[in-house]
Amino acid sequence: MRFAPPNPLRIADRASGLNAPTVRSYNERLVLSLLLQSSGISRLEIGEKTGLSAQTVSVIVRSLEQEALVSKGEAQRGRVGPPTIPLSLNPEGAFSVGVSFGEDAANVALIDFVGRVRYHAAHLYSSLQESPAAIAAKIEEGLLTLPPASRTRVAGVGLAVPDDGNVSGRIRKLLGRDLADAQANIERKLGLSVYIQNEITAAAGGESLFGMARSLSDFLFFYLGSRLHSRLILNYQIHSGRSDLSHDVGLLALHQGLKKRGLALSDIGSEIPAAADELYTQWQQACSQQILESVRSLLSFVNFKSVVLSSYAPPVLARDLCERLRKELPDVQFLLGANTTAPKAIGAASLPYHSRFMVQ
Amino acid sequence: MRSVLCFGDSNTHGQIPGRGPLERYDRHTRWPGVLQSELGPSWYVIEEGLSGRTTVHDDPIEGAHKNGRSYLRPCAQSHTVLDLVIIMLGTNDLKIRFNKPASEVAMGIGCLIYDLRELAPGPGGSVPEIMIVAPPPILDDVKEWKSIFAGAPEKSRQLALEFEIMADSLGVHFFNAGSVCSCDEADGFHLNAEAHRALGAALAQEIEAIGWPTQQRKS
Repeated sequence: MRFAPPNPLRIADRASGLNAPTVRSYNERLVLSLLLQSSGISRLEIGEKTGLSAQTVSVIVRSLEQEALVSKGEAQRGRVGPPTIPLSLNPEGAFSVGVSFGEDAANVALIDFVGRVRYHAAHLYSSLQESPAAIAAKIEEGLLTLPPASRTRVAGVGLAVPDDGNVSGRIRKLLGRDLADAQANIERKLGLSVYIQNEITAAAGGESLFGMARSLSDFLFFYLGSRLHSRLILNYQIHSGRSDLSHDVGLLALHQGLKKRGLALSDIGSEIPAAADELYTQWQQACSQQILESVRSLLSFVNFKSVVLSSYAPPVLARDLCERLRKELPDVQFLLGANTTAPKAIGAASLPYHSRFMVQ
Repeated sequence: MRSVLCFGDSNTHGQIPGRGPLERYDRHTRWPGVLQSELGPSWYVIEEGLSGRTTVHDDPIEGAHKNGRSYLRPCAQSHTVLDLVIIMLGTNDLKIRFNKPASEVAMGIGCLIYDLRELAPGPGGSVPEIMIVAPPPILDDVKEWKSIFAGAPEKSRQLALEFEIMADSLGVHFFNAGSVCSCDEADGFHLNAEAHRALGAALAQEIEAIGWPTQQRKS
């Protein structure tokens, strides 16, 4: 007989909320990924871009709307052709927390479904007990800033962790010897899935998912933190290469120079203090030389048009550096990363979205 | 021009609440008429409402011709080419004489979808877009219809979910009419003019949301 009772799979998902380990269909992920890249597109455009039939798109969008992951805009009339109804991700649809581990402090960032930072805090290591439980407690502090109704919509936790060789003693003490243990520990404490990734790769992923690079399939990514790191992204895939490689031309080098002159990085406001002028020029030169060298040598192997520079540095500093790079290599598009508060933590927070909602 | 077939029962026919089957709202008041004016001249709205129509049952009292299944094929074929078929049925299946739970009514709708797919009355012999609309729930007080609709109000409140499961499973469009209108108190299961207006406007939006590529004008 051709007719059997239907399988109530999608409907059953709805009742269980976000916390169930939902296995989303490839097509659902495809639609969500598309909406992340271009918000305000219509069902017709989704169909055109994915090759899915109108009815399939309709079923998927309806189900995502009911889960409040997607919201409908007002019909756009007055153009040629039929009116279209734009669809967008609902910012309140899901939330995620990311933690990154800097020189002196751990950063906790809470982002919504479109990547906006809803909460950010830096916790000095000296203020944290040395155990994963301390991290879990700080994550919970962040989660409690959400209204109660939204707390069931947390997709998970991401940790951006430096490579083994770079792990300082304090980070090791905080997370323990074994990352898998730390992961299990935090998962148990919070009842949320925990995802772990290399910190620079996470920062690149965050910029790719939510930031300046959301429409770029190929680019070279620099992370200017204490040191300078890089990643190559080709066809949306992040390539690590020698992921532990970094250059000593980062903010730490500048910071140490400033310190000798009795200044700190935080003294750099909208402009560079006169006392630091010469030092700053030297540092900028060294840093941009290193970046240019990497870009030039890579250009002989791979064709990419864009470079994204991500940093938590004072805005004037990153802007100056970008300006300088643009002058040196006008054929390449140098872009400043959009995630400026704790880019690694935001990248970490995007990990649960990647694994639960996006096409890999 | 695109065509949409509105296949339904008395609530598509436009029967006035609390009156007999011969008393009907005028063309502009009935939801297919509202739909026509909302969609504009680029759409041709075909009304196919019959009082007492069921999904797949020959009615032993009102007659075999109330069976939606036996009439859908010739109806769809006579109106080809169809870009969209809207099916709003289910209320009459809840009459006690059929003794069917809401899930079986949804399966009846499923049969109609299968039949449409087989017939493929869409452009170039394709399957048209299909939208199933769950009728608004029957009110608890159905006046003199009480014995005929015994137990129906409760079952009618489950129709939307059962229809949506069917729509998801078969991959067709779905709309819950109960989200924009309700039945009139005069008899508890018919739509008044205001409800027709709200339903027609909402369905026009739903149809637009499907997204229709611009048509090549035939010379």
